[in-house]
Amino acid sequence: MCLDDQILNTYLDNELTEPWKSQVEEHLSYCPSCRARYQNLLQLSDTIKSSELTEEEIRPHQDRVLSMIEKNYLSKGKSKKSFFKRTFKVSGPQLMGVAAAFVVVFVGSWAVFGNSGSSDGQIILPDVNTTIDLNNITQTRSSDNATTSKSLENYSLDEILKNLDARGYDVDIRLKSIQPLSLDKMSSEVKVIATVSDKGITITSDGLARNADGTIVATGVLVDDKNEVVASDGTVLFTAEETQVVE
Amino acid sequence: MEIRSGDELAFRQVYNEVFPVVMKVAYHVTYNQDVAEDICQDAFIRFYDKDMSFPSMDDAKFWLIRVVKNLAINHVKRKVRESASLEKVMRGPQVNPFKDGASELILKESTAAVRKAVSELPEIYKTVIVLREYAGLNYKEIAGVLKISESNVKVRVHRARKELEAMLNREEVNVP
Repeated sequence: MCLDDQILNTYLDNELTEPWKSQVEEHLSYCPSCRARYQNLLQLSDTIKSSELTEEEIRPHQDRVLSMIEKNYLSKGKSKKSFFKRTFKVSGPQLMGVAAAFVVVFVGSWAVFGNSGSSDGQIILPDVNTTIDLNNITQTRSSDNATTSKSLENYSLDEILKNLDARGYDVDIRLKSIQPLSLDKMSSEVKVIATVSDKGITITSDGLARNADGTIVATGVLVDDKNEVVASDGTVLFTAEETQVVE
Repeated sequence: MEIRSGDELAFRQVYNEVFPVVMKVAYHVTYNQDVAEDICQDAFIRFYDKDMSFPSMDDAKFWLIRVVKNLAINHVKRKVRESASLEKVMRGPQVNPFKDGASELILKESTAAVRKAVSELPEIYKTVIVLREYAGLNYKEIAGVLKISESNVKVRVHRARKELEAMLNREEVNVP
């Protein structure tokens, strides 16, 4: 009968006791297949051992930890106990005395300061003009202030991406669930207020002018009382003759 | 020879003799030298602070090995939990845990493969194989540290080697 791996492993670790140890040795002396398997297991064990952390790798850690412990523990000795670990022995009467002292201080302070507010009657605040109008409000940007540290908002998307890329992150950016709005998908509040003949352009109440395929050609436009389509800067985009107002 | 862990002379003696062993245990469980160093430091500070009495150097060594092993296992478990939840949020850069930044040592392929295989072993097999192959403990000592029976150690060592052999064969490592 041949030997199984578990017995060979136990033998290999020198953990097999007599008489089994001698029996295994005897078997290995004449059984080539068990001997080959034993050699395999021996090699495996050696391979595992060969990946062990080396002396040179251990040394710097050993020195560093020792110097830390020497500095903080050994040289100070046992006499230096931390404040919080020290036990205080206080007798009953002493404790009562301390408590009584606290009561005296507390009551005394109340007697001196406790009712000073009510005798004065009123607290007078300095007069401050709190009027706010558009003339005394100025807008400031945090980036104007050189001492302010930059927050994430101060970086452009491009800068953030470059930074992440430099650190080895693989970033994929994509806009989710944003599609160009077509006319028939528009919300009910936005209505077509005018169309421009033979150009296929529609003007909607949200101030957008769209081509026939739905792409936006101008924003902030409106139709004035002369039926002209006017851009936000006041220029006339389409004349009254071209514009048909939808009621 | 009785050893008092709070005695400076005895502490230094234990430190010199035991540090390499516990560093190996901590490293081969966590596979991160900086983490292993922190764990060893933590264990030796506890050892000194508790001012315990050990009947022999070996008993002090087994106490330290047990503490280090527990700290290292806890670290690995925490790490697995964290990375599992983190991976759902973002995929970070792939870092090879077997190349420590501190050492910058380019490990031989087989060494890296063995370390990777050991790191992938289930905890109960990993601890016995680390204590057997890297800490050099015998079955009885391993049983004492892990508080399991010797025959249990025997079975686990055998199964750990079996798993490692299968993993290394998959990786096609050239056994020297």
